Amino acid sequence: MMKPILIVLMLLLVNVSIAQVRVTGKVTSSDDGSPIPGVAIQIKGAGGHGASTDAKGEYALANVPADAVLSFSFIGFKKQEIPVDGKTVINVNLVTEELGIDEVIVIAYGKTTKGTNTGAVSVIKNDALKNEPNISFENAMSGKVAGLQITTLSGQAGSTSSIRLRGIGSMNASNEPLYVIDGVPVISGNVSQLGINTSNNVMSTINPNDIESISVLKDAAASSLYGSRAANGVILITTKKGKQGAPVVSFKSSVSMTPTFATDNYEVASTEDQVKMYYENFWNATVYSGGTSASASTSALAQLNKRFNKHGYTFTAPDNTVNSLTIGGDRAGTYYDWEKVLFRTAVNQTYDFSVSGATDKSSYYTSLSYTDEKGRSVINDFKRITGRINFAQKVSDYVDFETNINITNSEKAGFNDSRSTGNNYFLQQRNLLWGLYWPTDYKTGEPWTARYGSYAYNPLYYDKEWENSSKTLRLSASETVAVKILPELNLRSIFSYDKSQIQDHLYYSPAHFQGSSVNGSVTESGTSISKLVSSTTMNYNKEFAGKHNVGALVGWEVEENKSEYQRSSGTNLPTSTLHTVSTAGKLDASAYYWGNTMVSMLSRAEYNYNNTYYISGSFRRDGASKLGPKSRWGNFWSVAGSWRIDKEKFMKELEIISSLKLRASYGVNGTLPSNNYGWRSLTSYSNKYMELPGGGVSTIADENLSWETSYTSNIALEFGLLKQRITGSVEVFDRKSKDLLQDVPISLVTGFGSTLKNVGEINNRGIELELYGDILKKKDFVWSAGITASHIKSTVSELYGGKNIIWYDPTGGDSRAKFIYTEGESTLALYGLEWAGVDNETGKNIWYLNNDKTPDLTVNGRPATFKYSSASEVILGDIHPKLFGGLNTDFSWKGLSLSLNFTYKIGGYTYDAAGKDVNDDGYYWERIISQDAYDNRWTPENKDALYPMRIALDYEDVNQKSSRHMHKADYLRLKSTTLGYNLPEYLVNKIGLDKARVYFNGANLFTKAAYTVYDPEVNEYGTRGWELPLGKTYTFGIEVNL
Amino acid sequence: MRKIKILTALLSVILLASCDDFLDVKPSDSSAAESSITNAADAKVAINGLMRKMTSSDYYGRNFMLYADAKGGDFAIRSQGRGLDALYTFNHSASSNSYSGFWSQIYNCILQSNNLLLNIEKIEADGKGSAALSDYKGQALTARALMYFDLVRLYGKPYNMDKESFGVPLILEPLDASAQPTRSSVKEVYAQIMKDLTDAEPLLSKTIVNGYLNYYSNTALQAKVNLYMENYTEALAAAEDVISSNKYVLYSNTDWVKSWSTQFGKESIIELAIYPSEADLLTASLGYYLLRQGKKTGAMGWFMASDYYMARLGEDANDVRWGIMDYDESSTTRFGSCLKYCGVDLLGDKSSPSAVNIKVLRLSEIYLIAAEAALKLTTPDKAKAILYLNSIRKRSPNLAPATEGTITLDMVTDERSKELYAEGQRFFDMMRLNKTITFNDEFISPAVTIAHRQKTIDRTFYKTRLPIATAEIDANPAIATQQNPEY
Repeated sequence: MMKPILIVLMLLLVNVSIAQVRVTGKVTSSDDGSPIPGVAIQIKGAGGHGASTDAKGEYALANVPADAVLSFSFIGFKKQEIPVDGKTVINVNLVTEELGIDEVIVIAYGKTTKGTNTGAVSVIKNDALKNEPNISFENAMSGKVAGLQITTLSGQAGSTSSIRLRGIGSMNASNEPLYVIDGVPVISGNVSQLGINTSNNVMSTINPNDIESISVLKDAAASSLYGSRAANGVILITTKKGKQGAPVVSFKSSVSMTPTFATDNYEVASTEDQVKMYYENFWNATVYSGGTSASASTSALAQLNKRFNKHGYTFTAPDNTVNSLTIGGDRAGTYYDWEKVLFRTAVNQTYDFSVSGATDKSSYYTSLSYTDEKGRSVINDFKRITGRINFAQKVSDYVDFETNINITNSEKAGFNDSRSTGNNYFLQQRNLLWGLYWPTDYKTGEPWTARYGSYAYNPLYYDKEWENSSKTLRLSASETVAVKILPELNLRSIFSYDKSQIQDHLYYSPAHFQGSSVNGSVTESGTSISKLVSSTTMNYNKEFAGKHNVGALVGWEVEENKSEYQRSSGTNLPTSTLHTVSTAGKLDASAYYWGNTMVSMLSRAEYNYNNTYYISGSFRRDGASKLGPKSRWGNFWSVAGSWRIDKEKFMKELEIISSLKLRASYGVNGTLPSNNYGWRSLTSYSNKYMELPGGGVSTIADENLSWETSYTSNIALEFGLLKQRITGSVEVFDRKSKDLLQDVPISLVTGFGSTLKNVGEINNRGIELELYGDILKKKDFVWSAGITASHIKSTVSELYGGKNIIWYDPTGGDSRAKFIYTEGESTLALYGLEWAGVDNETGKNIWYLNNDKTPDLTVNGRPATFKYSSASEVILGDIHPKLFGGLNTDFSWKGLSLSLNFTYKIGGYTYDAAGKDVNDDGYYWERIISQDAYDNRWTPENKDALYPMRIALDYEDVNQKSSRHMHKADYLRLKSTTLGYNLPEYLVNKIGLDKARVYFNGANLFTKAAYTVYDPEVNEYGTRGWELPLGKTYTFGIEVNL
Repeated sequence: MRKIKILTALLSVILLASCDDFLDVKPSDSSAAESSITNAADAKVAINGLMRKMTSSDYYGRNFMLYADAKGGDFAIRSQGRGLDALYTFNHSASSNSYSGFWSQIYNCILQSNNLLLNIEKIEADGKGSAALSDYKGQALTARALMYFDLVRLYGKPYNMDKESFGVPLILEPLDASAQPTRSSVKEVYAQIMKDLTDAEPLLSKTIVNGYLNYYSNTALQAKVNLYMENYTEALAAAEDVISSNKYVLYSNTDWVKSWSTQFGKESIIELAIYPSEADLLTASLGYYLLRQGKKTGAMGWFMASDYYMARLGEDANDVRWGIMDYDESSTTRFGSCLKYCGVDLLGDKSSPSAVNIKVLRLSEIYLIAAEAALKLTTPDKAKAILYLNSIRKRSPNLAPATEGTITLDMVTDERSKELYAEGQRFFDMMRLNKTITFNDEFISPAVTIAHRQKTIDRTFYKTRLPIATAEIDANPAIATQQNPEY
């Protein structure tokens, strides 16, 4: 009771001495003149006396001293201070702040402003995300953060992306960053257990429209408070909150179409050319082993007739050469177009509805979104519904509660993205299905059910005989309580529960080749992944003597991860109409669980002098169940400092420089093994025998397995020129990662192929540049541009014991590219035989020997051989590019806006894992080959060819990994382009709307690549295989605010 | 402030006290390796696991059974590229088609034996031994002997060709992950095989327990190994020990075909069980590999009988063993498809065409071992040879029984091929007997050229030994210089 009385008394006292006025006015945005609700207006020095604008942006403030200064502030806008000078109406036009120095950014366990932050943090604001019609937000970050590489493994709707921040810091453990949503670490990655090599990305359960901002924490100073999970960086996602003022009701809708792939991808040669090639393959084999052209032609025709007579084609070659080869038979002249039936124009529809608002006591944001995508492949579908409630309530002056709840249900049907002849429709269409194969038998008209050559099946028939789906129900709820114990001391406690329930369904009818031997099969498997996090932090901030600012944070955190798996499956199904386990004649089941736990203590201290010199330090101690008792506790820490040079007196002279900050940091982070039990030697019981339990030693483990630790130093210069018209930063970093874990190949005589060990050290060092600027800034017209560029050198600096490690790209499980870890070389050093091209005279492959064996010939002065088995393997090239990043440019004119986002890569190589299939030398003779292989093969007429003669003797052996399949990686891609139009307000208001916007977005519309046979946007290992490529997507959208 | 400090301190204490338990997260489907075998029941579980691992597709479940006939000239292929045809074409190198699955799977099985033996010894050292435990020990030793016998035949030269040359690494206890073992000589490996067998012999029960190893599995194996080592007296004695026990009975001519639809037959001395939903390889099973293309969905017609085998069996059109043959894709009159692993009705031995037991060692072979050993004794015992050979040869009713005047070693060898076709024998017989192998390449239609071997080979051809795979050499440089010559 005493407090209000005191204030009244004080006001009365003040009133006596100075004249007071009532001030009113309107606050608008300099962007488009629209009113800004919720702007805080304070009388400077009046201890909290103030007001805020209403829904129309208007305010009224009574009892304002005539000589007072009013300050107007709102997040995202520059603060303005205006002296009252006796005025009674003060209208203010607030200027938006693009990545300004005082912009609030989200960091580990708190918030700060860009100017005071001492770590390396890149921020992506909602503006950059809102026009991207992405199912998952990862793609929207592409090219916008220096040092961040985002690769999408597959063009299938709902599949997983892979993110690498500042290179590769681990060999075997995860290289993926930690995701933190609204202060809580969450589940990420692929969650499907379908076992058909299709991924289900749990991050696609996040609706991109709910995201307010994304902070990417790059250096140790920024991330080490997340300790053992932070070595690969941290991605902090902040979801939207309601803003003060009238409720905002917003509705968005978009439709996307993807009629084609973004680039050529192993385009196939015409059916006639394939037939010629097939003939040539066998003709060559006979002639070059000494046969006559007549016997060669007979043999080649016999091969053709054997394979294609049954499909209604016959073959003749009267002059015994390919020149007279003609295709006859009942179906002559017509070929089946498999591409047309296996692929379609993908269509995505998205509807998004949200309501948000706030009063000074509470705020809310709610949304509901629905997405339905029919993928490029006729069997790939994705559906998602998400709902979110973010609610915050001030229960007293001292206590705030905040609740965030997100519920998502998604469903995906996909197909096998790996090199699977029976199930990957992309592989089938590009490599297996001849135009001469038809889905029907030409004699009977019945569906063709037998295998075609090379294990291809008639997909049109078998499509109907199987189904798969992966459904995810994700529920995440977090409750935060913040208590203001003292004005300078705050306690914040978060409890969160994140649960994903994945239900996988896989069915094969008795007619399907996968189900035939067991008379049909159906499998239902459920995986429930839960993550409980409880974290409590105490934060102290105080200013002393107007110059010394001190901050401290202490806290603890407990995390428990548990996954439970259950599978029930049945075979011998009674009828093809029922696809449930309960109807099956024979049942089988499995269930088990796994998980890990972690306990942490964390702290941070900060000090700055006069907002000019900043130092900070952090310390975290983690204990993890993934390591044995001897090594499970790890200490992680960082120190950082920054200097706001622009605050110095001597800088006042330099008007051109509006901000300048130098910062440096050093710190230690850790990474845990991905395996939950990697340190334990185990006996498993998966070897049942005669329906009795069977056990066996399943791992040889190292119980002293320890953390991977990385030591990162970072120096950066952040600058703003011409009143922040140009802003940017240059960062230099050096990350040394030690005690790296790797499944080291061991002698198979031990009984195992590998064991998990701490084996070596990697060094990533690089330089990153981010630059943004307004090139033209007129009243109605703004042209701005930004560039990000990164150069990273990622090398293996030490291998304990000096022993090289050979490893393979794990994608798809077929060892598609071979790499070597060897001291001083790249972390992605391709390893294999060095191909020396083709011998002009014989059309044979030539290999550089790279050893002391007797050469068959010399090429470019180097000893070479025709026999691949005589040559030795060497390092062929480095996957890492010299430079990568993005270019963004935006134009806006009145209500119109156009933005272009490019991504690029300069230098480095990609490895063509499908090359052995589409461009082999005759081993896979039943397969179809690429146009590129056809055009560039050796023939007596084309002796200067790129590729060897195609001959059914298989001189190369397709399974060799060699530089023949290594290609330049450089490309430039217009990742996204958006054309938007804000309808004029007077029109919009007439129909009762607040705002309306229409836009067009194009994804991957333009690509320029050094190697054009396949899409240059490859996976994180730089390899391209049979995953579905990305498409060219056209989106039309509308967005209205009520 | 004070309260907060106390609270924080209190929280830390509670936290640290409960940490150790909280951080001890154990798997739910595995147990700690060091404590998983502590009694006879645990040893039984380990034996089960071992037998199951031996039925892997890389071993007895398929590839090892196909190996000897594909390489021994009794199989032919109709087309290349259907799968495993590199066995037939000898398209092997250290880096591709090295069939390192044999190496890794068998050594994994050897580890299981070694681990079990080590633990049984520990239990026995604690004075807790039992008859059951020593029987399991005998089984583990016998299994280990069998596995080394298979490995040395895959990777080493025949014993009677060059026994000082490289065999395989001889590992008798679990190894550390950093071990870099090197190859022992063929002679040393054979010596260890005989030692394991003779050590195990007194430990084993003479009772037949379906699906497991017993005393007779051990002695039958001794007969076979001694034959390879040219110890004919010992081979004959061991074989006769099995035969005279009367625990096993030869199939009569009328029962012979049916025996392939019966699990744990009267002849089975070692038979590994393959149950549905255990080691069942479905359409990739041994049975499917021998089916005519399209006979069942998924059957690709991988391996058919060669003309040479057909001619051998064709010496008697009424040979009972034709009963297990089915026509192949080349013609309805060429009976080149073998149904030993599907049963003639394609219902196998448990109403499944693919989950069919593997008969590793059966009495017919022991008779033929006895016949051969008797014939090869320093003083040949022709009477015994005739007796044992004719017991099997009578399955060709129209062929005259062997007599003192007609019996030859070739008759025994041919009988082995006829009787043990598709049972993993022919190639090893040809190697051991130093015979040439001729391949029926003409069966490939349309014709293609086989670039990786000649039409006829013998045991001097380097590819009659498998290469040590690149993966092993990369991880174990110590063995690099011990690669089989010419690879």
